[in-house]
Amino acid sequence: MQLRPRFGLYALVTVSVLVSFLPIIWLILTSLKTTAGIYAWPPQYIPDPFTLDNYINIIQNSPELLIYVWNSFVVGFGTTVFTLVFGSMAGYALSRLGMRRAGILMIFILAVSMFPPVSLIPSLFQNFLQFGLLNTYIGLIIAHTGLFLPFAVWMLASYFATLPVEIEEAARMDGMGTFRIFRSIVIPLSWPGFVATGLIVFIFSWNEFPLALVLMTENAMRTAPVGISLYPGEYAFPWETISTATVIAIIPILMITAIFQKQIVGGLTAGASK
Amino acid sequence: MSKTAPSIERKRQKTGMAFITPTLLIITAILVYPILQSVVLSFGESSIDGSVPYKFVGFKHYFALLQTERFWNALTVTVIFTAISIPLELILGIGLALLLNEHFRFKGIARLAVLFPWALPTALNTLMWRWMYNTDYGVFNAVALQSGLADRPINWLGDDVLAMGAMVTVAVWKTSSFMALIILAGLQSIPRDLYEAGRMDGMSRWQEFREITLPLLKGPILVALIVRSMDALRTFELPFNLTDGGPVTATESLSLYAYKVIFDFVEFNFGAAIVVVQFLVIFAMSLIYIFTLRNKD
Repeated sequence: MQLRPRFGLYALVTVSVLVSFLPIIWLILTSLKTTAGIYAWPPQYIPDPFTLDNYINIIQNSPELLIYVWNSFVVGFGTTVFTLVFGSMAGYALSRLGMRRAGILMIFILAVSMFPPVSLIPSLFQNFLQFGLLNTYIGLIIAHTGLFLPFAVWMLASYFATLPVEIEEAARMDGMGTFRIFRSIVIPLSWPGFVATGLIVFIFSWNEFPLALVLMTENAMRTAPVGISLYPGEYAFPWETISTATVIAIIPILMITAIFQKQIVGGLTAGASK
Repeated sequence: MSKTAPSIERKRQKTGMAFITPTLLIITAILVYPILQSVVLSFGESSIDGSVPYKFVGFKHYFALLQTERFWNALTVTVIFTAISIPLELILGIGLALLLNEHFRFKGIARLAVLFPWALPTALNTLMWRWMYNTDYGVFNAVALQSGLADRPINWLGDDVLAMGAMVTVAVWKTSSFMALIILAGLQSIPRDLYEAGRMDGMSRWQEFREITLPLLKGPILVALIVRSMDALRTFELPFNLTDGGPVTATESLSLYAYKVIFDFVEFNFGAAIVVVQFLVIFAMSLIYIFTLRNKD
């Protein structure tokens, strides 16, 4: 392993890290510049002067940008809860209850998870319109739950499969029913699986674009990625506002990935190699 | 299981069904039924708000599709985009994975840096890049002009080839990390003693890579390739936010074209035909995926 000089290794790592962070760093720097600084020549690589005006401005004058972030929270949270509840039940049934045709059902769930969201749009839009679900939190939450349930079922099923079966058998001997075993033994034992699945589903929902774009047509109901993308309207892009709003909208995701890095990577790679 | 009495077994099956029913209902309502409905819509005339009663017209929209140049353009753009970005992502992904598999300090930060582009919303990532590509105030042109690499601002998103290159760059930047993480997991499962044996035989590092690492990574690489190809074939918010498909239609993906047909041109049933074709392409890919996985076991 020592054949290659360490210097080369560190140089490569540094370049990769820089390239990964560069757009985000540039965005944050832009959000800390004055409007004159953003459009200055020669370009300002370091904000001069540093200012938080853009952030204050958004809070005072463009509260809709904060509402987008709030909408993303509501939808992401609701989707995560629904997905974990239904996904864990299905995953448990498929991995532990010796169901007939469990294998076929798992393949079916995997297959439908690959449907492209845009091909759902004509029908979902029409049906949501008819049932009054456009521009409602519950509508987009149901849609996202449908999109991400397959992933959750697979992840949780593979997690349950790693639990020692003896505990459940002992509980069954004691006369506990399936539902009680699930609720008071399986769930408490599986919280790491729930955390990893829940975090990834939350990120998926936060980032989802086509359905959030089509099913939330009212400005006040838009999620952060959609609302910010559509913010400028017809004319020039107000980059001082856009960059600042984008920073605010990605902070929750940056924090989640930084804190729960191990769980997310573990969940992703386990999910993909199944 | 063989010892359980039949009645208990039956009760268990019933509980299992009860546990799985909510999931099947939601998946049916959100994924399965809409696809079927899109197929029905693509064979008829109706309106998005249901004010026009449905009338069956057969393959009319599909015939029209075959003669629509913009559809073929969108299909070509999507295939070119996929065919260029996936190999680049794979090469960079393998490189990154090999790098992250080495031992060095601050490895946590490096892995986090690689994870960030993947974790952030594509729509917002794209906005960041669009700002950097900006002709008048973007950082790329600032550096190019100041360093003398260019003598006038480059219109990155205003040229057919450059715009496609810009789009590929954003995709590669975002998803090489995903490839890297999957391949890294595969790397870490390769037993160390294989390399020691290789060293005994006097293998060079390149030979080690070619003859030990790469063959054992076939599974993870295949998974990453197929997942990413399906992703690239349905790319939507990337061209939506970067170029809106432009200049003219040079970067208009199939998803973006379908969206415009449905909501901007209000040709609802024609749009349904487009999404059905797209669905068939991607579903064929997913079948290949599932069969390769089954054969792997």
